Amino acid sequence: MMRLPWFSYRSPATIAEAASILAGEGPSVMIVAGGTDLFPNMKRKQQVPKTLVSLRKVQGLKRIANGTGLTLGGALTLSDVVAAEPVRSGYRALWQAAAQVATPHLRNMGTPGGNLCLDTRCTYYNQNFEWRQAIDFCMKKDGKICWVATKSRLCLAVSSTDTASALIALGAKVRLVSSRGEREVALADLYRNDGMDYLTLKSDEILTDVMLPAASGWQSSYWKLRRRGSFYFPVLGVAAAVRLGADGVVEDARIVLGACAPRPIVTKAGELLIGKHLTDEVIAEIGAKAASQAKPTDNTDLDLYWRKDVVANFVGYALREVRGDDMRTERMRIARQSLQAVG
Amino acid sequence: MKIGTIGLAECIRQVVERSNWKARHKKLPYGRGVGIACNSYLCGAGLPIYWNKMPHAGVQLLVDRSGQVTVFCGATEIGQGSDDVLVAIVAEVLGIEPFDVRCVTGDTGITPVDLGSYSSRVTVMMGNAAIQAAERIRDQIAEAASAQIGVRPDLLVFLQGRVFFSEDPSRSLTFREAIGFAEEKFGTLWSVGSYVPLRAPGRYKGAGVGPSPAYSYTACVVEVEVDPATGWITVPKIWIAHDIGQAINPVLVRGQVEGSVYMGLSEALMEEQSFRRLPANMSNALVHKIPSLLEYKSPTTLDMPDIDTVLVEDPDQNCPFGAKEVGQGPLLPVMPALANAIFDAIGVRIDEVPITPDKILRALERKAKGQTPRVGPEHFPDVPYPEPIFVPTPGEGGDGNAAKEGPVRVPGRKREVAQS
Repeated sequence: MMRLPWFSYRSPATIAEAASILAGEGPSVMIVAGGTDLFPNMKRKQQVPKTLVSLRKVQGLKRIANGTGLTLGGALTLSDVVAAEPVRSGYRALWQAAAQVATPHLRNMGTPGGNLCLDTRCTYYNQNFEWRQAIDFCMKKDGKICWVATKSRLCLAVSSTDTASALIALGAKVRLVSSRGEREVALADLYRNDGMDYLTLKSDEILTDVMLPAASGWQSSYWKLRRRGSFYFPVLGVAAAVRLGADGVVEDARIVLGACAPRPIVTKAGELLIGKHLTDEVIAEIGAKAASQAKPTDNTDLDLYWRKDVVANFVGYALREVRGDDMRTERMRIARQSLQAVG
Repeated sequence: MKIGTIGLAECIRQVVERSNWKARHKKLPYGRGVGIACNSYLCGAGLPIYWNKMPHAGVQLLVDRSGQVTVFCGATEIGQGSDDVLVAIVAEVLGIEPFDVRCVTGDTGITPVDLGSYSSRVTVMMGNAAIQAAERIRDQIAEAASAQIGVRPDLLVFLQGRVFFSEDPSRSLTFREAIGFAEEKFGTLWSVGSYVPLRAPGRYKGAGVGPSPAYSYTACVVEVEVDPATGWITVPKIWIAHDIGQAINPVLVRGQVEGSVYMGLSEALMEEQSFRRLPANMSNALVHKIPSLLEYKSPTTLDMPDIDTVLVEDPDQNCPFGAKEVGQGPLLPVMPALANAIFDAIGVRIDEVPITPDKILRALERKAKGQTPRVGPEHFPDVPYPEPIFVPTPGEGGDGNAAKEGPVRVPGRKREVAQS
């Protein structure tokens, strides 16, 4: 049996108190917001914080606020997000992404903040200590080399969050608070293309809020690839958000690929859509363009080349859903569920 | 050893009819298909793992004036329902409710030996031992009861907690009263039963592998939808019929059949051991790519299709009340039936498991290029097989039990490169 290593557990009641603990502890501290990924990682000694600061009791992190857009507290549960009517009606990609994270049990614990900061994953990294020791570890933890591509100087562990792709497509920003003050960054800028140092978040910063712009005029969709219908990280996630003019011309669009690289990839395909109609030909062309930007590596489930091949198909599913096609049959086949029952 | 009953034809009839096979096979639109496969499986190995002549299964019964029966057996309940089978068999022979039978199993310190839960052997071997033990104690009880009721012991019926004259049920004792008289007559009551399979008649090397007291049969139809663009595979429904001989507990049998479908589908679509060799300038070690159960995937409830389960009952005289195995057999046809369904859907053969979307696309690519539309191993493993032993059947001038003298080359058995 793998046991949790020893650590101190702090459970502050306010953001200010949490920020001051973080500032005092230095880089060996981590925030726990749900812990569905962090605790298993700690048991495998992938992540070994000396101190955990829990956001569970922090006031003000579980709000859902309507304004010009929508603000979601970082410590809501993913189940809360799925159940929130404004999410379901206005931000479909987020709703579809959150509804497909892991399992109902894990969504009852997992949080948007935790999912956005989710550790990157790799078949050479997400193993117990002894297994990793047997291959002399990898550069992400305790070792020097990247086993996925032994000449790579960068870690290729994969961004495996569902909600990030959807939220980036929807134009979300995040608020980061520390004892030094607070800042807002576009969610896309929270990520770096480095499997080890994958967040621009500082060790003393708390992701307190996710801020979505007004949804009016936007249609969005999220499609997740995994081998089975539940209980796994994406091995490809495609989020598309499109603003259509009255004449059906695309006024603005963002297409984001998840689980294809150490960070979510904001493709150039979104810009190429602007000024066009969502015809079958355009969708195929945009899909091919997006696929050319996907850089999947041989460190997740399912065949590497196949995962790149189907990016175009998944972009097609998302854009057809955005266009208003009835995608229920395709959704049943790919997701193994209608998603309607989840919320 | 001989095959007792074969319910396979009825199994095939059932799945063919219920799946509307004739209207659908080769007739569904491109991308959809149905496939069928059948199998046979043994009900325990005729020879024990450790060769000896002792029983494969032993059962001990204690009966006392409370009316309670306690059955002891080394058989291991691993969730398959063997305790339930043991209790049901004893209760059936003694004509009492299963609730009046207490069951002590799997404790090697206090139970007689049973060789274990493997090889789909427990129902047949433990069951036969349990029938022998229960019939022995029933005979003692009948002998004591016959003096009270005033009829010959062989005219007594044990049913619904009573012992009575078959032609006049009013001349009866309760089971508990009958035990009381038996205790007066014989003292403390106990009995034992054991089971050894018939000796396999084969007199050649390897003859001990395969003979079994009985064989179960299964037929399975799988329906599949394959997206030719992505290779994505969906299984909406599976029909399966299993020749159980006699269902002792139909609910448990169905559970075992459907559990087998689950495991078969898991093997067909998901379970995989893949390895990767690290570069030579590194350790050159062969590492398991998915060494954890999180990565070694099996279906969730969302991935399971509807299953239409039929139990075919064709009792086998070598089995307890005719009951055959249901632990492993129904798993076997699922993988080939799925592969056949994929061939029906898109005309390509995937000859290895797991059958994954990338293999489908690779096979479709080969088909488009005019190559053999197949993905799978290109040749048999390079294994130095020993010279084959040829056992002539009656049609070939032998009796099927003895090897022909000297090494014989059997046509078609030498290693060949698979067609590709």
